Amino acid sequence: MSIRAGLSTQADVTGDLNLECGVVIVGSGAGGATVAAELAEAGVDVVVLEEGGYHATESFRPETGRALRTLYRDGGGGATIGRPSVLFAEGRCVGGSTVVNGGMSWRTPAGVLERWAKQDGVLEISEAEMEPFFARFEARNSVGTQDPETIGRNSQLLKAGADAKGWAIVPNRRNQLHCAGTSNCSNGCPTGAKRSMALTSVPRALAFGARVIADCRVDQVTRTGCTVTGVTGYVVRPGGVRGPRVVVRARAVIVAGGALETPALLLRSGLRSRSNQLGRNLSLHPNANVVGFFDFDVTGWQGVHQAFQIREFLADGIMMSAQNLTPSMLAGVMPGYGRGLGELMADYNRVVTAGPLIEDTGTGRIRNLPGLGTQVFYRVTERDAARVVRGVELTAEALFAAGARRIVLPFNGAPVVRDPGDLRRLLASPVPRHSLELYSIHLMGTARMSEDPRRGVVDSFGAFHGVRGLFVSDASVFPGPIGINPMETVIALAMRNARRLVEQRGRYDLLCG
Amino acid sequence: MVENGLMTAGGSAPRLPARARRSARRFAEIVCPPEMTAHHRTDRVLGELELMLAALAPEARKALTITMVVLDQAARLSRRSRGRRFSQLDDQAAEAYIRSVLASRKVPAEFVRRLKSLVVMCYYELPPVQREIGYHPAPYIAAVTRRRLESYGPEIRAGEAAVTARDDSGVVREGTGP
Repeated sequence: MSIRAGLSTQADVTGDLNLECGVVIVGSGAGGATVAAELAEAGVDVVVLEEGGYHATESFRPETGRALRTLYRDGGGGATIGRPSVLFAEGRCVGGSTVVNGGMSWRTPAGVLERWAKQDGVLEISEAEMEPFFARFEARNSVGTQDPETIGRNSQLLKAGADAKGWAIVPNRRNQLHCAGTSNCSNGCPTGAKRSMALTSVPRALAFGARVIADCRVDQVTRTGCTVTGVTGYVVRPGGVRGPRVVVRARAVIVAGGALETPALLLRSGLRSRSNQLGRNLSLHPNANVVGFFDFDVTGWQGVHQAFQIREFLADGIMMSAQNLTPSMLAGVMPGYGRGLGELMADYNRVVTAGPLIEDTGTGRIRNLPGLGTQVFYRVTERDAARVVRGVELTAEALFAAGARRIVLPFNGAPVVRDPGDLRRLLASPVPRHSLELYSIHLMGTARMSEDPRRGVVDSFGAFHGVRGLFVSDASVFPGPIGINPMETVIALAMRNARRLVEQRGRYDLLCG
Repeated sequence: MVENGLMTAGGSAPRLPARARRSARRFAEIVCPPEMTAHHRTDRVLGELELMLAALAPEARKALTITMVVLDQAARLSRRSRGRRFSQLDDQAAEAYIRSVLASRKVPAEFVRRLKSLVVMCYYELPPVQREIGYHPAPYIAAVTRRRLESYGPEIRAGEAAVTARDDSGVVREGTGP
């Protein structure tokens, strides 16, 4: 039985599926769901295949382990190969990472768009040309700042610290319809206030006639010569068991599986880019957690996730914010073990967890390795490591300025610091790069766009160079990191590229209603 | 119970091989706070660990399972263990062994640190442990959910209804620009 008209899950599929459509879209996150809704509204016959399951708002609870197992790819346990290894997590469910992210909605910085235009030869990407798409997303998905009553004490303390230092700090903009401040973003929003794709573009696509199949993994993009013909895959049964085969014939294929799975799928399908950039050029905005302990109750789980961003150091590639971690997530990043860990965690309600996000200059690579599946290679450069250390230092300074009594740093083996002097003394010696404890939730750049096929995998509008009817619609197309949360950039590009596809519908024999 | 291709919290996962489970049990006893053993929570932590391992990518699952076995056997090489496996060491020797492994800069130690993170995550995922440290979000979530609907109900309903309304700008339908 379908959960709602047009949406099927593995339970609905009893035998092999053979479908035909105008456009098949792989993935239902920010890029896939947006393009699905836009094309469906334009009358295109759309099929969306999503590897993860469908989860209703009512199912979202403050249970981290359960969320990791059901809403995230590989239990949220991704790790790059390299020293230090960077942990990463991506959503895998209907709505993709928008179901589990913080909902930060920021326009692409003008300088980044300018760089993409000048250095990468991307067309129609100026601030003025992108403005209508940003505005449309913001209006449709209720982007705005928080209602004051939902801002928790952890965010207020970070703001107090930034104010004391005289730093620029701005209220966060999020896609939320009067967010209640449950601090449960990463487990799925239990109120539906966060306007994830599962609550916006996916139902919109369904309302305009799209078909969405959850629990369906795509393993190949099919083609005849240089023209795509569709995709093949299979239904994922409970426990990860391979179910019935799925074959979709389509006149266009849009791959929107994220910066890891998109290149992995394209490479697996035998596709190569003349630029040799497919799967390369990975950026991931490394993040680190700085944990400040206060003498009083903060109760960081009461209030919104990330109410503010410190933007004083954005030009240096460093942005900072406070985000509450659930007990299990905090325990996972704490140093120590046994009794010592228990003593630290006993003060759970007195901590503020904050940290820097770094605009990285190094790049990594996605590779499909026989017997090992898709692997991510990434080297943290000396320059980026220095940025992380500087970002950690600044975050700690802000927390001390707000009244923190001791701070745990994300450097393996580092002692707890108890005042700014302690911090300075510790950082007077170089912090070994391999000791950095980093994580990422922003993977980008592995199918970069450029009009020049020698430089980019896709053109300015996401069309794969040299393969007719194949498009990419996710953060893979970014030519480089953007230094801020990428969701709105992905969505605006998806809207813009959908418009271009509709304009060129004759070229791909797409029928529009 | 299984759901959408993955194990869920309420279900069972494939059990670890006996050798790995033995090592994981001893490891949990050392890296988790002593209350785990005192309150007989070790089996629940191992159950949670097995669920989490089942959700990981196969190669990561294999690497961590091997880490448990190697951790157990490699203790024999430590002077203080006098030839015993990690799972056979007394508390003091087991703690000293884990301390030295976690402090190591060698690559295998990174897998042990990863395993430590996972095991302590599983401990702090247990509801009684969360209550003990003052984390009980359900009543708070219920209260702020109510407050949201009481304060902004009509606006919320209008916003939700707009999701499926046709866009009159014709931006995509006509391809004429926003």
